[in-house]
Amino acid sequence: MANPHPPAPLSRRAGRGGNEEPIDRGPIIAMRDISKRFGPALANDHISLDLWPGEVHAVLGENGAGKTTLMNVLAGMYQPDAGTIRIAGEEVQIASPADALRRGIGTVYQHFTLVPNLSIVENVVLGDEGGFLPDLSAADAKLTAMLADFGLDVSPRTEIRNLALGQRQRVEIIKVLLRGSRVLVLDEPTSVLTPGEVTALLDLLRHLRDQGVAVVLITHKLGEALAVSDRVTILRNGRNVGEFGPDVMTGAAKESVRDRIVEQMFGATQPTETRHHGAQQSIDVSPGVAIKHPGHSEPAGEESRHSRTDAAFSRDSSFLGMTTSLRRSPSRAESGTTLLSLRGISTLGDRGAPALQDLSLDLHRGEVFGIAGVDGNGQKELGEVIAGQRAVSSGQIFLDGAEITNRGLGTATRLGIGYVTDDRLHEGSVAASSVTDNVALKAIGRQPFSNGFWLNRRAMDEEARRLIVEFGVKTPGPETAIGMLSGGNIQKLLLARELALAPKLLVCNKPTTGLDLRTARFVVQTLREQADAGKVVVLISSELDELMEISDRIGVMYNGQLVAVMPRGETDLETLGNLMLGGARRAFKVPA
Amino acid sequence: MTRGALVPSRFAPVLTSLAAIVAAMILGGVFLAMRGKDPLAAYGMLFSRGLGTSYGITETLIRMAPLLIVSAGLLISLRAGVWNIGIDGQLMVGALFAGVVASAVAGQIANPLMWLAAALAGMGGGLLWALVPAILRVRWGLNEIITTLMMNYVALNVTSWLVKGPVKDPNVVPPQTRLIPQEMRLPDIAGSGVHIGLLVGLVVVLLVSVLFRNTVVGFMLDILGRNRQAAIHAGMPVNRLTLVALLASGALAGLAGANDILGVKGLFQGNWNPGYGFAAFALVYLARLHSLWIIPFAYFLSFLAIGGEMMARPLGIPTYFVEMLEGLMLLCFAVATYFERIRSPFGRAEEIETGPATAGEPPGPLVGDPVFEPVARSAGGRP
Ligand SMILES: Nc1ncnc2c1ncn2[C@@H]1O[C@H](COP(=O)(O)OP(=O)(O)OP(=O)(O)O)[C@@H](O)[C@H]1O
Ligand SMILES: [Mg+2]
Repeated sequence: MANPHPPAPLSRRAGRGGNEEPIDRGPIIAMRDISKRFGPALANDHISLDLWPGEVHAVLGENGAGKTTLMNVLAGMYQPDAGTIRIAGEEVQIASPADALRRGIGTVYQHFTLVPNLSIVENVVLGDEGGFLPDLSAADAKLTAMLADFGLDVSPRTEIRNLALGQRQRVEIIKVLLRGSRVLVLDEPTSVLTPGEVTALLDLLRHLRDQGVAVVLITHKLGEALAVSDRVTILRNGRNVGEFGPDVMTGAAKESVRDRIVEQMFGATQPTETRHHGAQQSIDVSPGVAIKHPGHSEPAGEESRHSRTDAAFSRDSSFLGMTTSLRRSPSRAESGTTLLSLRGISTLGDRGAPALQDLSLDLHRGEVFGIAGVDGNGQKELGEVIAGQRAVSSGQIFLDGAEITNRGLGTATRLGIGYVTDDRLHEGSVAASSVTDNVALKAIGRQPFSNGFWLNRRAMDEEARRLIVEFGVKTPGPETAIGMLSGGNIQKLLLARELALAPKLLVCNKPTTGLDLRTARFVVQTLREQADAGKVVVLISSELDELMEISDRIGVMYNGQLVAVMPRGETDLETLGNLMLGGARRAFKVPA
Repeated sequence: MTRGALVPSRFAPVLTSLAAIVAAMILGGVFLAMRGKDPLAAYGMLFSRGLGTSYGITETLIRMAPLLIVSAGLLISLRAGVWNIGIDGQLMVGALFAGVVASAVAGQIANPLMWLAAALAGMGGGLLWALVPAILRVRWGLNEIITTLMMNYVALNVTSWLVKGPVKDPNVVPPQTRLIPQEMRLPDIAGSGVHIGLLVGLVVVLLVSVLFRNTVVGFMLDILGRNRQAAIHAGMPVNRLTLVALLASGALAGLAGANDILGVKGLFQGNWNPGYGFAAFALVYLARLHSLWIIPFAYFLSFLAIGGEMMARPLGIPTYFVEMLEGLMLLCFAVATYFERIRSPFGRAEEIETGPATAGEPPGPLVGDPVFEPVARSAGGRP
């Protein structure tokens, strides 16, 4: 369906009730024609952006569109090559992040900057310009009130490491607000949060907006953006391609905005006949378009990939908020033979506490086994155990009947077990190494990357180029340090690297985190295709929609145990949610 | 439009080093002026004697050999994120072993064989001395910075005890091994006064360059140094790699010791400690952990040492002035890299060019398997 609406005209402060007090005369931040180039990549191309007090402003766009770069320019991390920034009408040069903070621009990065071994109050006071001996007790009093205000029921003397991620994020926010920030920038703040924490964060943002703070929210979750934002800016290929003002975002026409936003994010180049929405729809997931692996590869089909992802994204079930599903025969998993068996597995977590307790599980060829659970209930450790990255303290693991318990990750990789970690920056990739080296990382000791001793640089380079094309990774080239890529593009590479090894079993921990809608669709669909081609996919995810969509069976982890394993058709979001919170164990115990 | 566009980026990192060197020399000049010496005269003499006399150049090239070898070894460990502070101790033990073996077989087998035996003995000694910290690190997670440092003191005492008793040349009074006659020492490179140790040093640096550029082990060592957790995640044998890094740098330190015994000194004396370790640290960092850059910087630091000696005496400048300059260079270098990082757009790739990032956190006790198997474990303390 072609979209009949033209993009909304740039709207200039259409009256919103409430805060048109004195500050309301103009934008607090006016960025004009900001450009920033990194080598060949023009990350920001004459972008203009206004931030108004008392508004939540969502910045959306596909991976590598330039969102983070733009905010880094605002935060003083980068100097723009061209363009101006005005704060409350006055042109400024923002020299450094500290300078930005002094000028009232606070940024909460995805990777928190709090010191885990210090208390909340110490962290908040740290780096404050109060000299070497800050007055902690005065800060204490101020903080106590603020913490309560922010729904944090903890003492200011609590050490950061004892806080949950969502709580830490709030402390980060408090920290920048206490420095007098009138502008709060959040870069993908919800990707690390549980659904409950997300709701709480969005409430907090509304609250801050009502206090007159200008909030910038970068996110890939359209639902979140639509839920809180008064204004939306869409970036594409480094350019500002559209803005929707409060008249549209808060008006009655809100629902129809989704489609227009998506269209602007990705361009309206898709074949229109695939652009249904509203109805349930099935997607053909024939293995014919499966990812090509080295060894049996045809020339990389750019075209097929794009038509596929476009078809996929046109469904956008997750952001349209409805549960469409890929229709396939549900009996397939049962018919598959067992590939991997876990028997009575127990293991310890990083902090030495039990992470898995007497867990047993059989995985069958051709299935996607989804694992749901609130973070920290052993999902990550289970993934690591299957992948051979974590030793078990008791129990056995069998692959095709042969025991592989505690044989290590190298062995597991050689035997065809792949693992995409959720910690892509600290574990999955080596930031300072090139894309090529990162692509070759896991198979460096083998053909074609080496003969076990000498590297074959040419083969490494070719493979990197192939994956870049096949997965549409945005990078200046294979020799670029992977740390320079945008978050979503790093994630694509990690998945590509794993798939290229043609694993029999692939464990993915939150593989769509930080991916834009289209790429997330592509990934989910690729995983489904892997299973349909007879592989086993273990999908650990906090996105229940995603799990419901492609899993054959879903297991729920609670407290280091699989408290339930259910065929997809026999469960629903509500049941899963209850089980994740420790609800009653269901009858479907794993067959031992 | 930025700095990067003006200079080929390959050289940009070294410019920081050059800036650090210039800054250090200016600070050193201030120091000289405060001591009432004329800095211009001092530096003038440094350059005219160090670079302008054939004696200066020959001595510089001779001094280069051990520096090249030691630095190549240190580079291996630093690139792998392992801090080998024990270079000096490993070098002393290597030198003692080489001195003992060489004097024992000298004259009984062909000279080249004697050199080979001594070189192997030297490497063995250095390796042995690195083995203790390596095992402590890999098996029990003890921080190698402390253990290698301690081993330096142990080496000092053990070698001086050995050379006073068990391996002492009984025919002379001072504590030393038997002298290897001049004609049995390393020959000069044709027509120069520089013994062939320099060639050995250059070959070692080239081999290390090939190691990192073209081999799987070098690739893995690099990954380990940049991100240990990623190395574990990629299934690399991190323990074996750590071991290899420490042992290789120890063995090369020992080889450098053997080089000085065979090429320059002819015997091992109690308390002999040339202190190359510190110079090597300065050198490897100035070379930005890049193997081939070691060569010019080794020349420069050797020149400083030799030229410094040559100017110090006539001008009445303390001989430790050059060591102070080296220290200042490291200091200025640290400051320069700080500014470099602020100015560079490497916002998110924090690990770039900072070298060893993991040294501060030795691994916890290992789950499972012994030293020689890649061990499946997940490092503790994720952020
Ligand atoms: N420091 C840098 N050096 C080189 N290139 C960079 C750097 N930072 C960003 N880029 C490039 O600029 C482009 C925009 O990156 P940016 O991180 O702003 O994207 P993004 O919109 O935040 O994407 P994502 O949604 O994946 O986080 C990318 O192509 C990226 O590779
Ligand atoms: Mg980003």
